[in-house]
Amino acid sequence: MNNLSSKQRKLLYFVVIVVLTAPIIYLGAPSAGEGRSTGGKLAQIRIQEELGESTLGQVDPASSTMNLVLLGMRGIASSMLWSQAQTQQENKDWAGLRATTESIIMLQPHFLAVWEYQGWNLAYNVSAEWDDVRDRYYWVKEGLKFFMRGTERNRKYPELVWRVGNVSGAKVGRSDEWRYFRQYFRKDPDAARYNDGPDPAINPNNLDNYLVSKEWFQRANDLEEQPGIEQHLMQKMLFRTYPSRAQFDYADVLHRENRITEESRIAWDEAYEMWTTKFGREIFDSPGGQIILEFTEEDLKMLMERENNKFPLDVKRKWTSSYQDRCQYRYWRTLAAAESLEITRDAHRRINDGKELFWESRYVQSEKDRADGKGPETWGALEHLEDGMRKFEQVLNDFPTLASEDDAIEESLMALVYWREIFKLRKQPIPDDYPLRSMWEKHQDRVPEMELNFRRDIPISNRD
Amino acid sequence: MNFDPQPIDIAESLKNWGIIFGVLLTLGLSIGFLLSAILNTKDGISRYFVGLGEGMQDTFGMSCRRIGAIVRLTVKESVRRKALLVFVVFAILFMFGGWFLSNVNERDELQLGVYVSFVLKAISWLVLPVALLLSCWSIPEDIRLRSLHTVVTKPVRRSEIVVGRVLGFSVIGSLIVGIMSGLGYIWILRQVPPTVGDKLIARVPVYGKLSFLDRQGLDAKSGVNTGDINEFRSYIEGASKARAIWRFEGLSDDALRTNPENQQPELLIENNFQAFRTHKGEINQVLNYQLTLVNDAKKLRVALPSFPVQEFGENLRWIPRELSYYDEEAQASKQVDLFDLVDEDGKLTMEIACVDAGQFLGMAQPDMFVRLPDRSFASTFFKSALGIWMMMALIIVLGVTASTFVKGPVATLLTFTLVLFGAPAHGFLNDLVSGKVKRGGLIESGIGILTHANPNVDSQAGGTGITKGVDRAMSGFVWGVSHLVPDFSQFRYTEYSARGFDVPMKSAILPGVFLLLGFLLPCFLLAYFSLKLRELEAK
Repeated sequence: MNNLSSKQRKLLYFVVIVVLTAPIIYLGAPSAGEGRSTGGKLAQIRIQEELGESTLGQVDPASSTMNLVLLGMRGIASSMLWSQAQTQQENKDWAGLRATTESIIMLQPHFLAVWEYQGWNLAYNVSAEWDDVRDRYYWVKEGLKFFMRGTERNRKYPELVWRVGNVSGAKVGRSDEWRYFRQYFRKDPDAARYNDGPDPAINPNNLDNYLVSKEWFQRANDLEEQPGIEQHLMQKMLFRTYPSRAQFDYADVLHRENRITEESRIAWDEAYEMWTTKFGREIFDSPGGQIILEFTEEDLKMLMERENNKFPLDVKRKWTSSYQDRCQYRYWRTLAAAESLEITRDAHRRINDGKELFWESRYVQSEKDRADGKGPETWGALEHLEDGMRKFEQVLNDFPTLASEDDAIEESLMALVYWREIFKLRKQPIPDDYPLRSMWEKHQDRVPEMELNFRRDIPISNRD
Repeated sequence: MNFDPQPIDIAESLKNWGIIFGVLLTLGLSIGFLLSAILNTKDGISRYFVGLGEGMQDTFGMSCRRIGAIVRLTVKESVRRKALLVFVVFAILFMFGGWFLSNVNERDELQLGVYVSFVLKAISWLVLPVALLLSCWSIPEDIRLRSLHTVVTKPVRRSEIVVGRVLGFSVIGSLIVGIMSGLGYIWILRQVPPTVGDKLIARVPVYGKLSFLDRQGLDAKSGVNTGDINEFRSYIEGASKARAIWRFEGLSDDALRTNPENQQPELLIENNFQAFRTHKGEINQVLNYQLTLVNDAKKLRVALPSFPVQEFGENLRWIPRELSYYDEEAQASKQVDLFDLVDEDGKLTMEIACVDAGQFLGMAQPDMFVRLPDRSFASTFFKSALGIWMMMALIIVLGVTASTFVKGPVATLLTFTLVLFGAPAHGFLNDLVSGKVKRGGLIESGIGILTHANPNVDSQAGGTGITKGVDRAMSGFVWGVSHLVPDFSQFRYTEYSARGFDVPMKSAILPGVFLLLGFLLPCFLLAYFSLKLRELEAK
């Protein structure tokens, strides 16, 4: 073959090895650690461009090994697993689905869509398949925990952090089962495992679900503020409303649950503060330059100076107003201001008490009343409702923007439906003059819907 | 259970096996005869019959001592080839498996199945490749190294080499499966959380035949589909005349077991119904079902109190011997013995109704069963291990057979393909033959493709009687091929053990045993004659 002796060949091999090693070391030497510019060329570029596993989030050794072992087959393997997960879902094999999901995230730990899709799937779709409300809650928790793990594995996706806030807020607090879910959030149905407390994985400080949601939304906002990080869910301004919106939801749910106490007043005050002094004072970019939603004339001047008067004052005003409309800025501000007042809270309280008394007098106490020859009016439902309606009318007069909002219309009409029902029970005519009459006449088209809601309020055991 | 175990029809299986074996044997003998007559012009026919005679002698004259020697040789050879190193991988897997499998957030009962599946899958994934490689490479290696030449010149029949090899590999495989199963069993017992330790059992179900009544109370093929893609379960409507009716057979006193609450012998029913709501109803209350025991001959209908449906969980219902019920005709409360409702031949009918109006309950045949006294978890676990062993044995048989007529790599590829695609191909071919695949015939579907005909709509567009006749003949061939490909799914019993069921004899173990036995004789004959006719000195 050639004239070299065995020894010479070995020496030649050694020299070739050394020569080839040099560029490999130059290119591929490992980094000394995150943030340091030592290491090979590739390591340096990886740090510079933030492409390393550790810069994306927590590194799972099993996941990295799996990807390495599969060589280039990761795509095929994950596609097969997605298909398998789909089949398992169709066959209602939930344990199998959960296990397959684990395998998928092992293969695709930094693929945002995997986390978003499967987390949503567990919290919404899988949970809805179960009949027992406790089981449904279990799967909502599974979805939440899945999103939380996603945030640990991916530190640069504000979307995932936002999802945790969204599920703990909207899913727990707004779904059909919200009354139960909210209770379970503070006191897990698996009492033996969690010592009559919450599941620490999702609610370590035993807070209201909306307050937990607020914390996560705030974290999402903090993350989104960092340089080089973006969220792709919605317009930036809307994204940044969420911590305050969670505070609004918290204050609102206290009213929904008729917990109209000092706690609810503080909640509304805080919501007002957050909305006007925190979110409202943020600077956003708009086609009319930088804007501030809660602005003063000085603010406008300052912004114009900053931009060297590139945008005239009227353009800036127009875009500020447009952005305020997009996030219903003025409505929320007014609502918070109104709800902080004692008269508003009293109005809600009286209406809610009136409704509760209505059912008590109608179904719980009616036999006793009948024995005494008395009717539902004895329980004060009418007085409570009338007083509440009167106060609510006054609030709407003081804050006219609220009168055109759904929540106010519904509350007014529902109170009126109850109030009119008492007259029906008494077999008395409806008086000509009564509080909130203008609302009743203006929104006649919504009355059938409210009457349906009234029938839904009837405790099932008492339905005729 | 998400599948419906079907008991094996032994007579039908034997008949099918006889037909295919007979056809193949006849084909083999005829081709052999023709080749012999053509290639050896002078004494071809006599040599053919001499060869057959030798074959008979080699088959019936095998010596256990010589086979034993080859078995010993095979075992030693396997050990020398470091087959037992598989235990190292096994040990590593089980040392660290628990780290990745235990999920503190998971419900304990859901984790049980994960542990059991992991152990059984790990054993099969470790054992089967070893069996495949050993069996496919041994004879070709012997031929390459000419060690087989040394053996066949000794008074050892080639049939003994085949049988010895198969048995030898089976011995080493059995050793591996045995030790791994034992260790795996101990591992599961140690890993399983103590809270659900009592769930490690083998339930023994007696399944009934399920039929349906529709909302008018008329016979129906199935219940209602509420929109699930998977049609395994169908649904009955609440507060209507819709019923799911199970007819159980062969029930006697033996079916009773002691109720731990009152220490009385009672009948235990387990069910797993699924709820479907058309309206929210009472969110915090689950749906309810009512169970009625029926004896039409005696005109007895005993309705038991309604019962909540706990989905995807264990719903146990104890039925006492003495039942009190309200007789609507007589308008009086009465007492009846449970076995007064059972026919003389052990038949009992149970009707299920959904109580809640506007809501639906979903069920399939295996969703309700009479639960006989449980067996130990060990029994189901080791039966699953037996399934792995049988699978391994069949791979060894196929591997050794393939290695007698092709070289090692080709034999490996051939056996591997059979193992990998055996089960799915078998399922597909069966669907083709049974007509489950619409317009499954080759010519018929070809015409359908060319004419853009929709198989669901244009039932006549697939061709004429002639093309269908040709397709039928071809499907006969496909039927034969489908039985030549071993259905390895017959050996997979993991699902039973993972779900805490006993592995049933008639619908799981026997089909596996028959499958293994069915391949033994044809493979032996093929391997023997291949080895006999093979030029052993060729490299």
